[in-house]
Amino acid sequence: MPQVLTANRLSDGEVVYLAPDGTWVEGIDAAQVVNDADAALATGQQAERDRKIVHAYLFDITPNHRPMKMREIIRAAGPTVRTDLGKQAR
Amino acid sequence: MYRYDEFDQKLVDERVAQFRGQVARRLSGELNEEEFKPLRLMNGLYLQLHAYMLRVAIPYGTLSSRQLKMLAHIARKYDKDYAHFTTRQNLQYNWPKLADVPDILADLATVEMHAIQTSGNCIRNVTSDHFAGAAADEVDDPRIWSEIIRQWSTFHPEFSYLPRKFKIAVTAAPKDRAAIKVHDIGIIIRRDPSGALAFDVYVGGGQGRTPLIGHLIGEGIAAADLLAYLEATMRVYNQYGRRDNLYKSRIKILVHQIGADEMRRQVAAEFAEVKQHGALALPQAEIDRINAYFLDPAFEKLAEEDLTAQRKTKAFAAWLDTNVAKHKAAGYAIVTVSLKPIGGIPGDANADQMDLVADLAQRLSFDEIRVSHEQNLVLAHVRQRDLFGLWQALDKANLATANYALITDIIACPGLDYCDLANARSINIAQALSQRFADLDRQRNIGELKLKISGCINACGHHHVGHIGILGVDKKGVEYYQISLGGSGAEDASVGEILGPAFGEADVPDAIEKLIDTYLAARQPGERFLDTYRRLGIQPFREKLYAAH
Repeated sequence: MPQVLTANRLSDGEVVYLAPDGTWVEGIDAAQVVNDADAALATGQQAERDRKIVHAYLFDITPNHRPMKMREIIRAAGPTVRTDLGKQAR
Repeated sequence: MYRYDEFDQKLVDERVAQFRGQVARRLSGELNEEEFKPLRLMNGLYLQLHAYMLRVAIPYGTLSSRQLKMLAHIARKYDKDYAHFTTRQNLQYNWPKLADVPDILADLATVEMHAIQTSGNCIRNVTSDHFAGAAADEVDDPRIWSEIIRQWSTFHPEFSYLPRKFKIAVTAAPKDRAAIKVHDIGIIIRRDPSGALAFDVYVGGGQGRTPLIGHLIGEGIAAADLLAYLEATMRVYNQYGRRDNLYKSRIKILVHQIGADEMRRQVAAEFAEVKQHGALALPQAEIDRINAYFLDPAFEKLAEEDLTAQRKTKAFAAWLDTNVAKHKAAGYAIVTVSLKPIGGIPGDANADQMDLVADLAQRLSFDEIRVSHEQNLVLAHVRQRDLFGLWQALDKANLATANYALITDIIACPGLDYCDLANARSINIAQALSQRFADLDRQRNIGELKLKISGCINACGHHHVGHIGILGVDKKGVEYYQISLGGSGAEDASVGEILGPAFGEADVPDAIEKLIDTYLAARQPGERFLDTYRRLGIQPFREKLYAAH
C-alpha cells in the first residue's frame, strides 16, 4: 500500500505533507509517495527536532494518490460541513 | 455576576506571561513537543485535525456582554470569524495560530477570562444550570457554589495531577438542567426541613467509554462543610484512582469497583479527618461575599404581560411556546437563543451573531448571557414586554429557531470534521436529521426529544444520555452510526440501550424516522418519546427498525 508522510506545522498547526525535495507542502497532490517508511519517519523526526512540524506519521493512499481513510480525506481538504474553510477553500 | 478581585486578575495575568514565555521557548526550540504539550494543555490549547484548537473557559456558562464581545473580537482577529460553544458550556476556536495564542489569552484576560481548567487531569471548569438565578424552581443560585468550587479548585496543588480529568456540575433545582448525575461529582442543592441549604453529593457518574450514573455519596452536607466534603472525595480518588490504566482512571470506575457503600465509608472517614483539622470550614462571610456577586439584578415590579396581540404572528407564538421559559420574577422571561438553525452546525456562532447577542443582552437582559450544555445561549432576564422585539432581532440573525428541547435541538460534538480523537463525523448527521425533521408542526407534535450525537466513544456529544443517542463508529474505514434509546441526562438520569447493528450514514435519517413513527403510533396522551420508550421497552422499536433486515 503506498503511503504519504504527514504532520502539522508547528507554527500554525496547518496540515502538511513531505514533498520529494524534503520540504513540507500544504497540498497532498505535491506529497511524496513513500518507498522507505523508516527513512521517511526519520525525516519526520528530524523535522520535529528542527521545529518545523509536530507529530509526523504515515498514512495509506490509493494508487491515484488519494487518502484511504475519512480522517485523512478530511485533513487533506477541510471540514466537510464547512467547505468554505481549509485547503478545499483555497 | 462574579468580578475578579486583584488576586484573580494577577493570577490570570501571570499565567498569560508564563505561557507567552513557554510559546516563545517552543518556537525557538528550547522546549520540544513532549515538554510543551502538558504546558499548552494546561492553557486549553489542543492540536486537532486541521490546526490548533483553543478552548476558553466560561465558568458555569455565565458571560457578560463585554466578554461575549471579546469572544467575537477574537474570532474575527485571530480565527475564522466563528467559534463553537461546547457541551461543557465552554467555547472553542478551531483555527488559532500558536504564535497568536499568548495574545489571545492576553485579550481574554482583559475581560476576566482564560483557558485554564479546560484540559488536563485537573478539576475542570465547573458547570451549572443555564437558568440559574432566573428559574422559578431553584432554592438558591447554584453559581454562588460553582464559583466557590472554582476558587477552591483552581491551581489546587493537591488536585493538579489527578489520575484523570475531573468534572463537577451543580444545580439548585429539582429539574436537573445541568446533567449532574453524569458528572464525576454532581451536586444538588436543596433546603432541609429547617430551611438551611443542604448539599446532596453524587459521585461516580460519567459518560465516555463506560457510562455510569452517579451515586448519592454525601447526603445533606452543610454549606460550611461543602469544600471539606469535596476535598475528602477528591482525596479518596487521588489515593485509590487507577493511574496505571487510562480507561479505568476516572472516579466512576473506582466507585463502580469498590461499590457506593464503600466509597461512602471511605469519604466519610476522610471527611472526618478533614473536618477535625478544621482548615476547610467555609466562613459565612466568604459565602456572603460570593453571594453578593449573584444578587438578583434590579428587577422592575411588573405584571405578567398579555402577549395575545403579538401571538398573531405565528412564528413568534411558536418561539414563545418553545424557547421562552417561566422566570421567577413576574413580567420577566428566560429566553433560549437557539444555535441550532435548521441544517446548521450545533453550537456554532459567527462573530456578528455573538456581537448581536451581546448587544441584546446589554439592552434587554441585565448585561448577562448564559451558555447551556445543550449548546444554546440564554438571555436569562428579559422583560416580557421586550420579547417580541427581541424575537425580531434574533430572527433576522437566524438565532430564533423555535426548537428548544425538540428533535432538531440536537447536541453534536465536532466529530471527525475537526476532532483528532473522533472515529466518525457527527455534524453531518445532525444536519441531515435537522433537515429531515425541519417542519415545526411535526417537531412540536413529536414533543420533547433529546437527540445527541457523538463522533467517538468519548461521548462529548452526550449520546449515552440522549432520548435517542447516536454514536459514530469506524468500521474498516467506513463511518457507521450506532443508535441507542432511553438515555436521559435529567433528574431521571439513565444510560441509553443500544438498539442493534449500526447504520450507514445515508440510512440514519430513515432509521430515526422509523423510531419516531413507532413512538407516535404507540404513545399515550401526555407521553414524551422517553416516556413511551420506558413504558414499552426497546423491543417494539427494535422490531420496527430491523424488520426488513
